[in-house]
Amino acid sequence: MIWHRIEFIWSETLLQLRRERLIAISTVSIVAVLLVLLGANLLFIMNLHLWTGRTAAEVEVSAFFRKDFDRQSAQRTAGLVATWPAVASARFVPKEEGWPEFQKTVPGSAKLRGFDASAFPDAVYVRVKDPRQAEAVAKKLRAAEGVKAVPDRFGDFARAVAKFRDVVTGAGIVVAILVGLAGLFIVHNTVRLALYARWREIYIMQLVGATRSLIATPFLLEGAIHGAVGAWLACCVLIPTHMYLRTVAARSAPLLLLQPDQALLPFGCYLVLGGALLA
Amino acid sequence: MPTAVELKAVDVAYPGGVQALSDINLTIDEGEFVFLVGPTGHGKSTLLKLLYREEEPTAGQVLVQGWDVPRLTASRIPYLRRRIGVVFQDFRLLPHRTAAENIAFVLQATGAPCPSVEKCVQDALSQVGLADRAEHFPGQLAAGEQQRLAIARALAPGPSLLLADEPTGNLDPQASASVAALLLEVNRGGTTVMVATHDPAIVNAARRRVVAIREGRIVSDTPEGSYPENLAQD
Repeated sequence: MIWHRIEFIWSETLLQLRRERLIAISTVSIVAVLLVLLGANLLFIMNLHLWTGRTAAEVEVSAFFRKDFDRQSAQRTAGLVATWPAVASARFVPKEEGWPEFQKTVPGSAKLRGFDASAFPDAVYVRVKDPRQAEAVAKKLRAAEGVKAVPDRFGDFARAVAKFRDVVTGAGIVVAILVGLAGLFIVHNTVRLALYARWREIYIMQLVGATRSLIATPFLLEGAIHGAVGAWLACCVLIPTHMYLRTVAARSAPLLLLQPDQALLPFGCYLVLGGALLA
Repeated sequence: MPTAVELKAVDVAYPGGVQALSDINLTIDEGEFVFLVGPTGHGKSTLLKLLYREEEPTAGQVLVQGWDVPRLTASRIPYLRRRIGVVFQDFRLLPHRTAAENIAFVLQATGAPCPSVEKCVQDALSQVGLADRAEHFPGQLAAGEQQRLAIARALAPGPSLLLADEPTGNLDPQASASVAALLLEVNRGGTTVMVATHDPAIVNAARRRVVAIREGRIVSDTPEGSYPENLAQD
């Protein structure tokens, strides 16, 4: 009985797809265009987050301990800092390691007179989870036991990166909502046209005692198939374009990070699912 | 004899004060054949629509095979309609489906208890004399054949009540007689049949119960009657 019902619903869906070709073509085209716009927007935001996330990971807050603060206590403080919620990692660097590192990173420091490892303090290098939290972490570090100084050389950059990401993400979400609403409106009207074209069949189905779900299911399936095909077409445009851009970026702008190709597969799946739900 | 249809003090009024039916009291037993006669626009179709819940009464009670029709929830209406076959003046066939597909569509849409859809379709077409027209589209059939196909479609799920709303309205006299004969044959098989018509010829030929409606009221109810003279002139 259930199998017969499924068979009927499926055959009705296929019949509609075959018969209403014009409506099918228009729905698929609309969904494809909308999802190209939405998908491009989404890919841009994904890439932006990848880039800012990588940049944020590189934001490191360093805190130097007082020279009279014993090493064991400094290590304990560093261990404590690592447990803070905003902290991704905290690395204790004794002065013996910190001094050569400092010499490497600060040009000319090796020639500083009267300055050597013994004058250099123990330190803790902290990576934050979010660049926006760097300033708060620095403030907390300044108040931590044994800490003498926390250079403020990360703040402006971290703030700028975070602000840029937030603004662009916000704009992207607004664009996505507007495109989505426009899409819903257009798809809604297309579905109404399809219903109008088939009012006689729907009326007869109602008259002979077909349940509402039996009447509606072929329409929903038809819409889902239109949406999935439209989304697949959108994927056919977006994914090769992104792969091409990634190749070009790798050659000419290595610092411009783009999502790896394997990340595009779930993106494509979500897009097809979204298309099916949209239509 | 169990009751197939019962209407008690039924009123139907439309917005704007138009009274379609007034104080209708009618009982039809199972297996009966009833003509509803009267001029066009005087309430025959409205009365039939009450029975399959396409219209709702503003007052009164409508019972079909014990179901209190106006009180049915929306989800129960399909189950009421599966017990009722409906035939229309304009046939209401699906033009892009063959005769066989029109019937199969109804059988599958209603989940009619049918071991083989093909067999049930063939039986339904044979019953109305259209077995050799199974693969024809409605547009390729004559009007009388289209109406017989509509009757086959209504009968295919095995309803116990058949409603026909002006089934001969679009047919020539010969086709009308053929359709009327088919309806009588269906009734002989045990199905309760109600036919709304303003065609005196088929009513007078059949000599069955005649309920006359005028201006929304039942004005006569005659067993083995004929078309009332005073209504025939309207």
